[in-house]
Order: sequence, then C-alpha cells, then structure tokens
Amino acid sequence: MRIGIDVGGTHTDAVIMDGNTVVTSTKVLTSADVMEGVANALDTVIGNCGLPTDAIQSVMIGTTQFTNAIVERRQLAETGVFRLCLPAGRGLPPMVDWPDDIADAVGRHSYPLHGGYLYDGWPVADLDDAEIDKAIADAKGKGLKNFAIASAFSPMNAAPETLVAERIKAAIPDAHITCSQSFGRLGLMERENAAVLNATLLQFAERVVSAFLDALRTRNLTCPVFISQNDGTLMNADFVRAFPALTFASGPTNSLRGAMLLTGLEDAIVVDVGGTTSDIGVLQGGFPRESNAVIEVGGVRTNFRMPDIQAIGLGGGSLVSADGQALGPQSVGHRLTTEGLVFGGQTLTATDIVVASGHQAIGDAEAVAHLPKDMVETARQRMLTILDCGIDMMKPGAVQMPVILVGGGSVLVTGDLQAASEVHRPEHAGVANAIGAAIAQVGGESEKIISYQSLPREDAIAQLSREAEAQALSAGAAQESLRVVDIEETEVPYMGQDTMRVRVKVIGDLAIKPAGAKT
Amino acid sequence: MKLGAEHLDDLALGSVFLATGGGGDPHVPKLLTAEVLKRTGPVDLIAPEDLPDDAFVAAIGNVGAPTVSLELLPSDDEALIALEAFEKQMGRTLDAVISFEIGGGNSLIPIMAAASRGIPVVDGDGMGRALPEAQMMTYAIRGIPSTPALACDYARNVTLFTTKGTDVYERHIRALAMSSGGMITTVEHGMTGATVKQALIPGTVSFALKLGSFLRENRGQAPALLAPLQALFADSIYGECRLIHTGKVVDKSTRIVGGFDVGNTIVEGFDAGTAPVEIDIKNEYLLARRGEQVLASVPDLIIIVDYETSEPINAERLRYGQRIAIFAIGCPEFYRKPDALNAVSPRHFGFDLDYIPLEQLPY
Repeated sequence: MRIGIDVGGTHTDAVIMDGNTVVTSTKVLTSADVMEGVANALDTVIGNCGLPTDAIQSVMIGTTQFTNAIVERRQLAETGVFRLCLPAGRGLPPMVDWPDDIADAVGRHSYPLHGGYLYDGWPVADLDDAEIDKAIADAKGKGLKNFAIASAFSPMNAAPETLVAERIKAAIPDAHITCSQSFGRLGLMERENAAVLNATLLQFAERVVSAFLDALRTRNLTCPVFISQNDGTLMNADFVRAFPALTFASGPTNSLRGAMLLTGLEDAIVVDVGGTTSDIGVLQGGFPRESNAVIEVGGVRTNFRMPDIQAIGLGGGSLVSADGQALGPQSVGHRLTTEGLVFGGQTLTATDIVVASGHQAIGDAEAVAHLPKDMVETARQRMLTILDCGIDMMKPGAVQMPVILVGGGSVLVTGDLQAASEVHRPEHAGVANAIGAAIAQVGGESEKIISYQSLPREDAIAQLSREAEAQALSAGAAQESLRVVDIEETEVPYMGQDTMRVRVKVIGDLAIKPAGAKT
Repeated sequence: MKLGAEHLDDLALGSVFLATGGGGDPHVPKLLTAEVLKRTGPVDLIAPEDLPDDAFVAAIGNVGAPTVSLELLPSDDEALIALEAFEKQMGRTLDAVISFEIGGGNSLIPIMAAASRGIPVVDGDGMGRALPEAQMMTYAIRGIPSTPALACDYARNVTLFTTKGTDVYERHIRALAMSSGGMITTVEHGMTGATVKQALIPGTVSFALKLGSFLRENRGQAPALLAPLQALFADSIYGECRLIHTGKVVDKSTRIVGGFDVGNTIVEGFDAGTAPVEIDIKNEYLLARRGEQVLASVPDLIIIVDYETSEPINAERLRYGQRIAIFAIGCPEFYRKPDALNAVSPRHFGFDLDYIPLEQLPY
C-alpha cells in the first residue's frame, strides 16, 4: 500500500492506494503552516483504512511549497552566484534580468570568474586560482552559506563547477551548494537561474523535508518517503533536500498522471476544470507532454522541464453576459459559493447556467428559475464550444481523442465534446493529484552537444543513457526496471555536419523495500 | 529620436516578428544593450536623409549559430573593440553605424555599438528582415565591398578580413565564428552617407519599434490582430499583410545542409475543411504552400506566431503540436528588382520556382 499526498494552495489531499486501486481518500484545507493540514489528511486516511501503519510501503508527496516560496519571495536564503565563463559575458552579470524583489531577496552576490568551455571542448579560459580564492574569501566575509555555480558548457564538462564547489566546501564547511550541471539543459543563463533558485531554497527544503519525515515518524510510518517532481517522476527525501526546485509545477503533472491511472488511458487529453480556468494538458504514453518554451518561475527565466498546459478562461465561477453569448475569462473565483446566484449571491456564473438548464442540482435552483430558457441554452452551448476549441488546439493530430475530466468544475460539461472520441469522468477525480503522486516513477536525463563524427551515434546514446541511469538510480530507481523512454536529437545549425544536441531520458520503478523495512 | 533602454523590449519584439523565423533570440543582446545604455544614456537614431553625404558609416552585427551561443555569452565591449579596430584599419573615424539585419538580435548590436562609441545609429538596415547570408544584404547587392572587415570574438581576439568577394567573405567569417565558439561580432561594408542612402532599407528601426509596441499592447489571438496589422504595414515600406493560415504543427524536421538549418514544417488547419500548409525552412521561413499553390515566398516575409498570444516563434523553437498562425508580408521594393532577386529569389534557395509578389498570389 502507498500513501499519496498533494499539498496545494487551497486543499491538501491524501489517498491510500493498494496497487492501482484507491482504498480511501480525503480532502482537507491547507493550513497556514502546511503541516497541520498534512497531519489531518494523514490521520483521516490512516484512520479510514484501519490497517496497521507497517502495511504502508511508501509515501509520495506532491507539494507547491517551493514554487510558492519563490513566487511569494519567502524563505529564500541569500546566495552567492559563481559563474565561470569569463572572458565571455563581460558586462552581463548573473541575475541581470531578474525582477528586483527576488534579486534583492537572494542578495545580488555575483562572482564572475574565468573558466568554462566552448561547444568543441576548447577552454574559454583557464581557471584562475587566485581569482577563485578571492571570490570565496569575499563570500565568506559576507557570511554567505548558499551558493550556485554555473560554468559554460558544464553539461559537457562539469570539472570547473566541481572544482569550485570543492573549494567553497573547504573554506565554508557548512555551505549549501548547487551546481548548474544538475539542471542539464543547455542555455547558461537559464541553467544558472535554475541553480540559483534551487540554492536559495536549500535551508527551507531541509525544514520541509524534516517536517514531513517527523509527521510520518510520529504516526509510526517508517517506510521510504518520496516527493514528486515536475516531469511526473519521484525523488527520495535526500534528493529533495538537494534539489527542491525540481518540484516546480509538479501539481499539474500529478493531476495528469492521476487521470491516467483512474482511466487506464495513456494517450488522452486531460481537462482540469477549476473555478477560474480550465487547464488542458496532454498525456502521451502515460506522461505529460512537455513544454519547449522558456519557463518563467516567479519572473525568472529557467530551463526546467514543465508540462505543456493550456489554461483557458472558463471555470465554475466564470461570469456570464446577460445574453449568454460571452463567458469568462473574468470569474468570481473562490467567492463562487457566496456570489453565485444559486448560492444566494447577485452574480450570474457558469455554475448557475448548468443548474438552470437542469443538468446539476447545486444550491438553490429557484434562484435561477427566472433565467430565459434560450439564454441558458446559448450559454450552455457556448461553454462546450469554448472547451472544444481549447481541447482541439492541444490535440496532437486531427483525430478525436479521449478526454478525461477532473476537477470540481467538470460539472460544466453537460453534453458531447466534438473534439473528444469519448468523455471520461472517473471516480476519485477530485483527488487526482494525490493519486498521481502515489503512482509516480523515477527518472533521469542527460543532454549534450555531440559531433557524431568524433563519437559515433550509438556510443553517444549509450554514454548519455548511462549518465541518465546514474541520475535515476541516485533518485531511488530500481536498476532492473530502468528503460530509455525518449531520445531527442536536434541538429545544431552552422556547426558542421552531424553536430547534434542529444537528450536521453530514462524512467524506472521505485526501488520499494518490503513493508515494514526501515528507511 | 533618441533610443533608450525603455525602447528595447518593443524593438526586440518587433525585430523577432521581422526575423521570419531566423535571426536568433534577441533576449541576451537586449539585456546587454540595456546595460550599456544605462551607462551611456540614449543613442541618436538618425534618419537616412539627415546623414551627410560625406559621412563615414559601417555595418555591424553578430555572425554565428544561435544554438551554440546559448552557452557563450556575449560581452558589452565586443562591438566597441571591433569598431575601433575597423577605424584604425581604415584610418578614419566612423560618423554612424547601421545594422546588417533588422530581424532578431542584430537589430540591437548597432545600438550597443553606437552607444559605446558615442555616435548615432542609422534608422534602416541591410535586409528589412533576416536572411541567412552576407551576399543577400542590400549593401552587397549594391556592390559595396564587404571588406576590409574586422571581427572580434569572445576573448577580444581581433581578425582582419580582406577577401575577393562577399561570397568568399561569407565562407571565411562563418569559419571564424565556428572556431571562436560559435559567435563573432563583425564590422564591414564601410561606405559614405551618399552610398548608404542608395543601399539601405529605410526606416526599419523605427518601424520595428512601432510594430513591437503594437504587438505588446495588442497581445491576443492572431486573427483579431489582422486588421490593425494590415493598417500598420500598409503605412510602411512593406505594404501587403495577410493571415494565410491558422492551425497546428503536425510535423517539423530540419537537417544541416551546407552549414544551414534546412527542412520543412507541416501545419494542419484547425478546421478539417482547410488543407495543410507546408513551410520550407533555411534558417528562416522561406516558402509557404498549400498543395502546389504558393501562398508566399522569399523575399516576401513569412512569419509564424503563437495563435493565442501572437508572439512570434523562431524556427529553432517551432515544434510539433504548437498552435500557430502564419502571416505573410510583402517585401520592400528593393528586393523586387532583378539585381536583388538574383541573390534572394526562391530559385536562389534551391526551389524550382520564380518569385511571385505576394499581392499577385491568390488569397
């Protein structure tokens, strides 16, 4: 049995799963200190299922705490940023394009240094020992404990980052360090930004992980604990202490993965209808389709892997025009339960329409009985059209696809969707995120620019696969279950024939110890 | 007018639209230019007609591979080093600089250079868009020698080129860019004010700025932008503006051929009644066809934007599944003349067809 927990901004959900079956689930309000809500959710599901805690083999947690810390600029530690790419990049310091409030929060401590490599392995410059020592001494003088290190082409040669990290450790033994090579993808500034966002969260990650472990331990849950990351895979507790930033956007990913489990569909469109927006994502081979765009987190450009989510302005609280022709994007949001007509309010919302049309019995139907029938019908059809257009634009091809509806607003879908081959409304859809966390697997990836003329394609892919596997193993994967799920090859313009940017991704099952074993 | 840091976001956005899929992401050049302008204050944008005939002007910009330069950050003094080396070589100080191409990051490099050197930048460029090779620039087409040219790399290495023709020059700078980590800054095409006036695409810097500010203020679904965009382009050197297709990318494949990113993409229509459109790519979007029917071709501009936001999408970021709209814009008069078409017609890019101006194609 596994426990899945999803800590969202408003609700904390928990489920107990036996294999792929939901044994019990609960939804509680997220508390101000987060952990009280987690404790409540845990106590409820454990109480409900009535099994001894040693029957639980693992606990998986999805949490928005780290994303929210960045967005709200809370819990961020001042961070020294060491960049090795001089003499390139003169006059372009780290964090130059960050919003002022977050740049101030992490302290604007930047140390540009000589070093790094070109795409072909030629050094940009030799490392300058005196320069490195001076930078470390300065950071030490300022009392900095958190550090991000980025060097040019570190996905191909991480030696400069590793060396500087060792020097910092030697000078400041209690330093918290993030090297940019851990965030693989090419693009020095975006990778450096990812490393800084990660480094600034390291003490907070310590506290969050300890609090989770304490909550579990006091309930006698001694099984391994995992936290889900943005690509639908898991990391173990130690990994999260080192890489909290990898949890960004894990919420939508878990929702997609949960929808897959609940329906058994590996290729489908998932529509999560909330109060203000409907978030549309795509399952491909059981995993979310990833976005290729530069992803901003809290206004900072990063290279994180994120699911490709299209948010359209239609939800249960969407405002409806008097003629029923226009819905959203304005919404009463979470005030729906006081402002919607059926809840005794004064505002005509999408929820009022589905009650007026007789498709749902929510609140006081009398309060919408006066609405003209043809207007209600116009608005009802309009909702379906808006969703249809959104779904159609996310579909990978012209053929119809199954659509899975999750989220409280899915009551808005009152008829057939033309873009859908079939519409699924799975049971337990309200806790899809927690289910998605509970079933997550473990992955790893590696990316490099490689000339197939100097390293044949087969060898290159084998080498990248080994690196990706090593990463998956350190995140808690079982060796025998690892498989390559994606090989992406992109040719690099102007750089001569057969120069490719190659990315290999592997995924495997969690190495789960038998029930009752110690962490 | 004066160009300050506050103009750079709009200029960059407008320049990506005019880049027709090429030109590279202007984000980093924009940051760097902003840092320089913070120190120097704004730059004078000088109209071509205000340039004295005996003024000395040179073209400046970056040459290289945007993908590789994701790791090799540019520096704020590269442009100045190249400019000063050029002046020393020519024994003359420059009165103004001008852009290679308004499309993409090269719209910003001359501004950074002009700010560092304390001279104006000319309102115009050598392409009116982005194009992949030096011999496609208006300056080369007018027969202005590209060399002597000076290049500066990331480590302040400076290289002088004196080549026999622009095609040889193009090969040599390409080779230097590759051995310098993927990107160099070059100063070339030294010319007088009188020559510049004969050889440039005028007004493109101020137009890119206007276009960028329009796109920023009117962010939204592409079809809603068509009418105001048509008004904007009708009142410019470009003229015609069409929305030729909306749909989803169902295939994209590119390969390196002769040092360029060559391939195509297929865009299925949103509604099943519209046949798919195929776009041929050589760094830039060059040719749009529905079946056998040409919808637009180089040197006219083909622009792919995100359907929802109308944000332009570069060819290297275009991928399967994206929801897009395709605009076509008529090219400036300069490129419709036989001498220019010799360098930039569809035939020159290896397509077996002649250039038909956009407004003569069915719509």
